[in-house]
Amino acid sequence: MPDDSTPPVTYNGVPVPKPYPYADSPAFPTTIGTITQGMPLHACMGLNSCAGSDRFGTSPTPEGAPSPNACAGQGYCSTTTDHSCHVQNSCRNQGGCGLYGTGEEMNQPGYNDCKSLGSCATPINAERFSANGPNRGKSVWARARKVFEEQVWPDLRQKLLEKQAKGEIPADQPLPETLGRAPAPFAFTGPTYLWMTDGNTERSNAHACGNSGMSGAGGCV
Amino acid sequence: MDTQDPLTHDPTTRLTPAEKKLVAELNATSNRETVLAELKANLQTAIEIELATISIYLYTYYSINRTATSGENIDRRQAYANKAGAMIMSVAVEEMLHLSLSSNVLHAMGVPPKLYGQAPKQYPTGLPYHNPQGPKGPNGETAVSIPLGKLSFEQLWHFLQIEYPEKWDGLPEDRNWQTIGQFYSYIRCLIRTKFVTDDDFRKGAQANAIQPYNYSPDNTDTVYPTGKFDPWKPAPGGSTPEWTNADQYPSAAEAAVFTNQPDSHAGPSQLMTVQSRVDAAWAIDTICDQGEGYPVPNFGPSSTDDPSKSEKSHYVKFLMLQAQYADYAKTTESLPTDPPPPPPQLPTVTAEGLAAAGLVYNLADNPTAAGYPKEYLAIANFCSACFQYMLIMIETIYRVPPAEQKLFFNEGLHRSMIWLLDKYCQQIVGLPVGDLTSKTPVLMGPVFENVDLGPQKTSFARLTAFGAEAIVAANAVTNEINKTPVNKQTAMQQNITGIMGMVISFVQSFTPQPNSAGVTTTYLPDVARYW
Repeated sequence: MPDDSTPPVTYNGVPVPKPYPYADSPAFPTTIGTITQGMPLHACMGLNSCAGSDRFGTSPTPEGAPSPNACAGQGYCSTTTDHSCHVQNSCRNQGGCGLYGTGEEMNQPGYNDCKSLGSCATPINAERFSANGPNRGKSVWARARKVFEEQVWPDLRQKLLEKQAKGEIPADQPLPETLGRAPAPFAFTGPTYLWMTDGNTERSNAHACGNSGMSGAGGCV
Repeated sequence: MDTQDPLTHDPTTRLTPAEKKLVAELNATSNRETVLAELKANLQTAIEIELATISIYLYTYYSINRTATSGENIDRRQAYANKAGAMIMSVAVEEMLHLSLSSNVLHAMGVPPKLYGQAPKQYPTGLPYHNPQGPKGPNGETAVSIPLGKLSFEQLWHFLQIEYPEKWDGLPEDRNWQTIGQFYSYIRCLIRTKFVTDDDFRKGAQANAIQPYNYSPDNTDTVYPTGKFDPWKPAPGGSTPEWTNADQYPSAAEAAVFTNQPDSHAGPSQLMTVQSRVDAAWAIDTICDQGEGYPVPNFGPSSTDDPSKSEKSHYVKFLMLQAQYADYAKTTESLPTDPPPPPPQLPTVTAEGLAAAGLVYNLADNPTAAGYPKEYLAIANFCSACFQYMLIMIETIYRVPPAEQKLFFNEGLHRSMIWLLDKYCQQIVGLPVGDLTSKTPVLMGPVFENVDLGPQKTSFARLTAFGAEAIVAANAVTNEINKTPVNKQTAMQQNITGIMGMVISFVQSFTPQPNSAGVTTTYLPDVARYW
């Protein structure tokens, strides 16, 4: 069989899907808003602990609407400092996952012990899959949400309730036992690359590392 | 010494008739002191063999552009380049595992592994004690001398020379070995003599060995796509949005091929600590099986190395890549009958086609820093300095308090491999080092030389000094180019100044330089307190 003779087109992420499916959603916030005081930072959409603790924080959306995050588990994206790779997380439960790290780490996205012990980039884009472990080949975000529901939130909620009892968190701060669903367009996928990059024009909004071109975010930033 | 659960990992290799004969001979003619000394010396040699392969494989890896196109725009040449990159990286990752396993066995015997300054002195290189004459290659040559070279049919032959499979009943050899399997076979025999006991593997603290939790067989760099994929389509896990069904292509996750497998090992885990003769035998079996294929008794090496038969041996991975080159159909290279050589693989690629598409960079052959243009000398030396500091950090792991090992590994080894060296290499391969008037100028390849970082205790300061010199060099190159107004600079000049900016950024991010303020959280760890 003959070899190709025409040089390839040098674009990634082209063509961009049309029409844009997130016209009714608030635009991806490129900066992290003011977060409700005393609430922990986290790695991605749907992993927040309360109203006002997502990427919009207590701020209005870029379109001027009130902060759309009403409850634990309903938040739009990460509040930890954006980072692109394994070991770059700043603190507990702030690592993403899927690109580098052990199978055990990749099975616990958003659930790490401490600084530099997290596994991979945040926010966790919906296209990203685990490269190792029981979740290999499957959605990192879906796994992170499941781990948050089953392991992180019950433990975290208990600690927050204790803080609340000591007056360190306002008494009227809701800490529901059952989490709300992630925002509707992303409820089963997490934040898509298409939403975070505004149709491929803001590629640097999406942070994910690697040489294979398969992280969904076009490589390191 | 058989394992209990052959479904989750390879069974321990039984001694072959040739090995039994050598064990009997050693038992009859040698003594404990000699056998232990030989075993320790050969384990150090094993570390140096594994170390040599890593720089050889990585050099070729950095000649490949895996993502000139991605997603729906991947053509068959890009698909090949991405696959070749993933395959080579998957082998390099396992060579790092082998280096760690050999080091752990030696550490268990109470001897600190030596890596710093132990890389090959020059290229092309022979591997330690490798028979310099081997099977006939594609050019009819029989010399076993491995170059640093870009991806090519010829370079893949050199990879095959390294991974040539051992015959099932091959002679154990620690000198003039033809296959790495023969070399490890000799080590296996030494371990099985009556002179070696389990207590001999309890001289180094198990908790200080490199722990299993530091190893992962696959990562995003060892994965490649089967072909075109939809980069916008979410990974499987929940119901997918309707809009993603508009095209025919799978998601990246659905197109992903994983080149390594979790069950490709003997013993309890891929990376393991050693406390007994059985542990040492398992570690060596893992090394041999992954490189040359699981040995089928009374037959020969399998093409796979794992019970699930889904991970190809290093030899087969490289042979399958070679078989996709158009040259393969007519090659006269000497290939063993077991495992059987594959037929030519489709779609065919050629060196010319890959180069024309910008998928294989025209890297220099067997470069040295001193051989590069003098303005790039310090930039090349920083690459070697990073490599040597990584080797020092591996030596240091054995001194780090066990409770700190995971953090040290993450902030030291992971950070230096994935953030620093990988990205640094990807930048400098854009620097022309040959005739600039050529349509395809020769480009700088990474160097992995034994630069002197001084004693381990003060090596971070020397690494930092190498970094400072690289910054000076990068600024000088930039200033020279900027004597020409930006709007009159050639595209190549602008590309070079961009690379110089990245060089400076990397050095400042990972070592404490005067202008590094504010990014101290990404520095590599200073090993001084452990020495």
